[in-house]
Amino acid sequence: MSLAKPLMRGLLGKRLRIHLPVAFAVSLLTAAVFKYTVCDPRKQAYAEFYKNYDAVKEFNNMREAGIFECVRPSGE
Amino acid sequence: MAHPSQLGFQDAASPLMEELLMFHDHALLVVFLISAFVLYIILAMITTNMTDKYILDSQGVEIIWTILPALILILIALPSLRILYLMDEIDSPHLTVKAVGHQWYWSYEYTDYADLAFDSYMIPPQDLTPGQFRLLEADHRMVIPVMTPVRALISAEDVLHSWAVPALGTKMDAVPGRLNQTTFVASRPGVYYGQCSEICGANHSFMPIVVEVAPLEHFEAWSSLMLEDT
Repeated sequence: MSLAKPLMRGLLGKRLRIHLPVAFAVSLLTAAVFKYTVCDPRKQAYAEFYKNYDAVKEFNNMREAGIFECVRPSGE
Repeated sequence: MAHPSQLGFQDAASPLMEELLMFHDHALLVVFLISAFVLYIILAMITTNMTDKYILDSQGVEIIWTILPALILILIALPSLRILYLMDEIDSPHLTVKAVGHQWYWSYEYTDYADLAFDSYMIPPQDLTPGQFRLLEADHRMVIPVMTPVRALISAEDVLHSWAVPALGTKMDAVPGRLNQTTFVASRPGVYYGQCSEICGANHSFMPIVVEVAPLEHFEAWSSLMLEDT
């Protein structure tokens, strides 16, 4: 009874054929997760902030809070 | 201003800083892409049972790991160059302010229509009022109008300084005998802080920059008041 000859060649190639595509996939997945959890929400946040931004209203709120030195709150 | 244990940038107060934030996100995305790939490869390399695992040469893989990094660099360079050229656009500024660095304070000059000039010293910690920020407050703030292209001419009287306001995305070296120009537009009113960004002696950390952004009518009222006082 003879044993089957063990696989002696192409072991690294076989390993690389599995792991390299997985490595690319992992890196693309990481990039996609970062894009959709950080990059796009940040762009959206800035767009939303400025969509209905009223500079005069915000300025008056800050003025009444007393943070400016060039103009004091309206009561003073 | 920056908050304690803050990791990211301050919120953008100018269109240029918004562009820089987006570019930073893009560059960081590429960093995560490459780091994830390398980390996976390292893990694969240390979890193998193979003993003979070294390829001695392979023209194919060498071509790939030359072309791919070159493409990644182009992917980073193109948006970077776009912002670089955006920063150099001088779009008819409505106001010019000179900021001159001294040891150890800044002086500001508004000479477009009249000779308004004043010094801006840090408020020492013992003179701060509640709510003011340590090492960031100045006795006289640089005031500019909102949504107005401003040209800042930066120079120095003695040694190198650097005028920087992170929220506005500006930093420009103050070099004695040289006039450096930068432009920016403040998109929203508020108070924005910066610090001298070039080592200039014992009190380098104690010459902050404070920029107040207000609507035009308030800027005009302030400048009239300052002219009367000086």
